[in-house]
Amino acid sequence: MRDAGLTRRHVGRLAAATVAGLAVTRRARAATQVVRVGIDLSLTGGDAESAVRIKYGAQLALDEANATLDGVRIEAATYDDGTATAGQYDPAQAATNARRMVGDDAMIAAIGPQMSGAAKAMAPILSRGGLAIITPAATNPDLTDPRYAPLYRPGGKTVFFRTVTTDAYQGPDLANYFAETLKVRALYVLDDSGAFGVGLADAFQRRASVKGMRVLGRDRLDPKAADYAAVLTKIKALGPDALYYGGVLMAGVKLVKQCHEILPGLVRGGGDGLVGPEMLTGAGFPAAEGWYATIASPHLADDPRARDFARRYRARFGIVPDDYAITSYDAGLVIADAIRRVHAADGGVTRAAVRDAIQAAKVDTLQGTVSFDANGDLRDRTVSIFQVRRDPTKPLDSVLDQYRYVGVAPTS
Amino acid sequence: MSFGDLLLQQTINGLSLGAMYALLALGFTLVYGILELINFAHFNVFMVGSFIGLWVLEGLGLSGQSVILHGAALAGALLAALAVTMLLSGLLGVAIERLSLRPLRGVRGPAAMITTIGVSYILFNVVLLGVGADSKNYPDPLPPVAWHIGGAVLRLREVLIWLAALLLMAGLHVFVRRTRLGRAMRATAQDAEAARMMGVDVDRVVMTAFFLGSALAGAGGLAFGLYYDFTSFLIGFTAGLRAFTAAVLGGIGSIEGAMVGGLLVGLIEAFAGQFIAAAWADVIIFSLLVLVLVFRPAGLFGRPAVVKS
Repeated sequence: MRDAGLTRRHVGRLAAATVAGLAVTRRARAATQVVRVGIDLSLTGGDAESAVRIKYGAQLALDEANATLDGVRIEAATYDDGTATAGQYDPAQAATNARRMVGDDAMIAAIGPQMSGAAKAMAPILSRGGLAIITPAATNPDLTDPRYAPLYRPGGKTVFFRTVTTDAYQGPDLANYFAETLKVRALYVLDDSGAFGVGLADAFQRRASVKGMRVLGRDRLDPKAADYAAVLTKIKALGPDALYYGGVLMAGVKLVKQCHEILPGLVRGGGDGLVGPEMLTGAGFPAAEGWYATIASPHLADDPRARDFARRYRARFGIVPDDYAITSYDAGLVIADAIRRVHAADGGVTRAAVRDAIQAAKVDTLQGTVSFDANGDLRDRTVSIFQVRRDPTKPLDSVLDQYRYVGVAPTS
Repeated sequence: MSFGDLLLQQTINGLSLGAMYALLALGFTLVYGILELINFAHFNVFMVGSFIGLWVLEGLGLSGQSVILHGAALAGALLAALAVTMLLSGLLGVAIERLSLRPLRGVRGPAAMITTIGVSYILFNVVLLGVGADSKNYPDPLPPVAWHIGGAVLRLREVLIWLAALLLMAGLHVFVRRTRLGRAMRATAQDAEAARMMGVDVDRVVMTAFFLGSALAGAGGLAFGLYYDFTSFLIGFTAGLRAFTAAVLGGIGSIEGAMVGGLLVGLIEAFAGQFIAAAWADVIIFSLLVLVLVFRPAGLFGRPAVVKS
């Protein structure tokens, strides 16, 4: 799972070619248009395991679409925006990937990226190229905020869509939960210096103040540093009841470990950046025990249709999907649906037509009917809360078993 | 937690960081003292050392975080891991010197320094490709013993890291001051040409410097892993750059300077996190480095005292 990007890409191509081969034998008579859908994720570094689950979700949707599509064949092309030197997503690599996607004439839509920092680098390039992308995981609100349209939408039309909601809900909704349910009075806020982490922590912090919780301070962690003891000691001396961390797992795993030693017993929470197998295996137990985390989508894994999806997913890839594998599958369904409609109406499938079709989408997916507002945001804005609680009878790295669903986050 | 406790706790935090930086800084200083070469491969010898330590501990049957040892078993496991890690890291340093630097000895200009950067990246990428990009959990065999001093907490792992650093540095000091080879090192550092004429085997001295420096980096790597419970291919650069700063701050070439510089950088990092902001720690450390270099170009420990007395 952690082989080099090149090898993985080869395997991806091989898989695509095999699927394509099957499709060709089945419908050899029709003249088939081959279209490509890019998949960009952080397959190298601290978020790689989640990336693989997301990738498989998209792949499954596209492969299943190929089995029923006539006259069009979808090829998946995988891109890795993580680099070894960054140790996580690398905005420069993401921009390069976006340029390669835009430059590929057969590319008609894309799925990804996983990380908001990568999305910020990709959005302007994709916008100028008119290539629609649907992210199953990037939640920074700026990306779809019309105020930042000159930055992320210089091409004019909306090309950045999401099958998750944003940190404008994810952060504040957990702040509501901290204030209303957990009765937190004073807290400290940390972020990991990344686009996602800073945005999420800002959104959380604003709502926390509105809710009357005292924000005792805010600090920024260097994700490459190993030692957060100084900051945590400072926080300990301030005596908050809660700690909120906006960020992903590269700093997160170290923070969770050291937090357990220096600040035991505090209410601790973060966003979807803290949801992933690395939290369970890297930070481990008892350090991870009790951390709250949110995801920017409804919790679907217990839904009967999602369970059926999970069965197919597991049979095909041998691992258990998580909620963002589901939102990724949904993104694949939306794109496949757009391609199907464009093909039925015009015959030829083009980038511009697919973008328009996605904008107008009303697709029945695992999370219900997906449709987008004019800015590309999901109309459904559900945020789900989880708490890490060890279930020794289940595999340690199973996100579905070790994160217990707490409920839908309160919106006020 | 009173203000006094807070200062004490941050001092404990800073000294633990500093002990690690000091172990690493000594390697820079030893090699520089003899060859006047900044050895950037040292960054990643430290990183490789922490992986060697991980494998040795796993080889001893300590994998995962569930095995906790006490008393003689703990001491034996740690000492064995320390010895093997230092030996293998030392040999890695010797190999780097023998294969990539000795052929360049006597070549003028920055060729040797650039080579060490190349070697550093080779180690970095070999480990990345070999073990993967995710961080690896370290075994944690230490019992969770801690002492409370007022509101401050002193954990066993902090005491151990100080003790290890202190003993290793004392050992190095004795070696350089009291042994024949140590005297040869000091002589070479003062004047390599004269030392050679007096019959000192300079190649052997250089090899010793690389062995000792890399062995200490290996010890630092093992300490890093045990202290933070993880290691990854990435850890070399951040720690290495700070240790290098520590060496320069103390006066590169000076063993005492490296020790003091390491502790100083660790303390600055901890107190910057407390009183300014963690994100500013690097800015402060490196500003201080610039200031020291401007006003005391030879570092805090005065004249470039090299490995001589």
